[in-house]
Amino acid sequence: MSGKATIDWSADADSPVPPDNWGRRPARVGMPWGFVAVIALLVAGRFVLAPYLTSPALQTWATIFVAICVQALPFLVFGVALSAAIAAFVPASFWTRALPRRPAVAVPVAGLAGAVLPGCECASVPVASGLMSRGVAPAAALAFLLASPAINPIVLVATAVAFPGQPLMVVARFAASLLVAILVGWLWLRFGRADWLRIPARGRDGDSKVGVFVAAMRHDLLHAGGFLVVGALAAATLNVVVPREWMVSVAGIPVISILALALLAVLLSICSEADAFVAASLTAFSPTAKLAFLVVGPMVDLKLIALQAGTFGRSFAMRFVPLTFTLAVVVSTAVGWLLL
Amino acid sequence: MKRVSQSLVLMLLGGAVLRVSAFSNAYLNYVKPGFRPFLIAAGAVILVLGAIGLVKEWRRSAREASVRDAAEHAAQREGHEQGHEQGQHGHDHAHGPRVAWLLCLPVFALFLIAPPALGSFAAARVDTPPPQPPQVVGAYAPLKSGGPADMTVGEFIGRAWGDKTKSLQGKPVRLTGFVVPSKEKGQWYVTRMQLACCAADAFPLKVAVLGASAPPENSWAEVTGTWIPHKSAKVPLGTIAPELSASNVKRITAPAEPYE
Repeated sequence: MSGKATIDWSADADSPVPPDNWGRRPARVGMPWGFVAVIALLVAGRFVLAPYLTSPALQTWATIFVAICVQALPFLVFGVALSAAIAAFVPASFWTRALPRRPAVAVPVAGLAGAVLPGCECASVPVASGLMSRGVAPAAALAFLLASPAINPIVLVATAVAFPGQPLMVVARFAASLLVAILVGWLWLRFGRADWLRIPARGRDGDSKVGVFVAAMRHDLLHAGGFLVVGALAAATLNVVVPREWMVSVAGIPVISILALALLAVLLSICSEADAFVAASLTAFSPTAKLAFLVVGPMVDLKLIALQAGTFGRSFAMRFVPLTFTLAVVVSTAVGWLLL
Repeated sequence: MKRVSQSLVLMLLGGAVLRVSAFSNAYLNYVKPGFRPFLIAAGAVILVLGAIGLVKEWRRSAREASVRDAAEHAAQREGHEQGHEQGQHGHDHAHGPRVAWLLCLPVFALFLIAPPALGSFAAARVDTPPPQPPQVVGAYAPLKSGGPADMTVGEFIGRAWGDKTKSLQGKPVRLTGFVVPSKEKGQWYVTRMQLACCAADAFPLKVAVLGASAPPENSWAEVTGTWIPHKSAKVPLGTIAPELSASNVKRITAPAEPYE
């Protein structure tokens, strides 16, 4: 009975428009008081506060905060739409046919499949969650989540442009990122427990497909968007507060320099399509340290941690983030030592 | 978070994104020019999602009102219509994620602070020089003689550091950028921020200006002058900003595209 009676968009499609109850007093909507307060604050702030909000440090912070949000939003919308489309239009049976049945084999296949989703990490979190809700093994979806922002063609081309004459950097980035994704997937398969991971339920069968699509997109956008803002707040603050010289001063020390750049990648939260240019600008560091920056950045950073904790739950992020960070540093050190 | 508020927050955010991308050039302060269509599309999608939610909510409440009216009628006529439309509250998203309120914060930042393009504060924070440009043979065409040649700060640095033919030697050039004071006496920097993707990865490109007094910090200027080659060949390239001997400094208004 839940199917027809809920707010099903298509249920009204054939009804006369406007419906006969059109124009009656709306019942039980209630005033959205929270939103009224937001608007009141905006208007009052515009006149009262705005003249005082002009310090250069605050403005720089705001520019970076808005830039991260504005830059990530189109990718987030794209990812959320793709995820909702997976939930609404692709039948669950497709995934059982497309991916190998044994999860241990499905992990590397899903990791490699990450190469076809063009976009940065903000898009991959909702897509991975959509895959899980459609019955894809969590380990495989996680391998996809880690691999896709790092090894897709756009990112690889950007890396090649940022490091002219160093094609091995592109190869090393691809190899190290894919390896980390697969290793994390396998470890999750072997040691991960189902109750650590919150998989969002989706796609009730009674609803129309478009209804499911719109509802899923709306919910994901509100949810992931909120956490994106958390990450952007943290990244912008650290970007302005922590002087870059602190990081650069350790450039000469072999192991510390790798850790320093890995940490910088987490703090800066730069989009994976742009991080190669930033890595190239850190001239004082060794190629291996730069590789660590490129491998860690798309997998672990502040806005991603916020997004993952929001999407899959805190107990997931507490385990997944340190595991990924450690493996990313170790693997990129090894690959850098071999190739660069 | 009430469902109506969710829809309204989405519309507010979508409207703000459209305001900075479709109806003004403010987005140029945050991202690259080519990003505009994606921003407009994203803003429109968010706005439409919010609008759909509002319409749905309107219809739902109207339907609920009619159900209640029907129930009242039914109660009078010893109702045969009861249970017709139940389950409205079976859906669990009526109260959405509270974290979604944070989506208002970028709107607050945009409307209250109206963040400008990164200027001298951000540029002064980064003291490391930009990376040495790759050595590409024949990449730089010789400059034509005549009036001063307009070029970007990035190209000037590239020619100063990476050009074996020394095409800058003795040729007047004109650079546009904002003013950043220098720690050393008698010079200041004409500066442009370089974006790879968005303002979070901005990197200052600085050229030291000698022989002209500095305009106010963070104001925009057009500097005409000639390159001063490095006196010592021992200084490794890319460790200090290239120098320009200025013949003319003209203050200008900030360009629409603040980044290179």
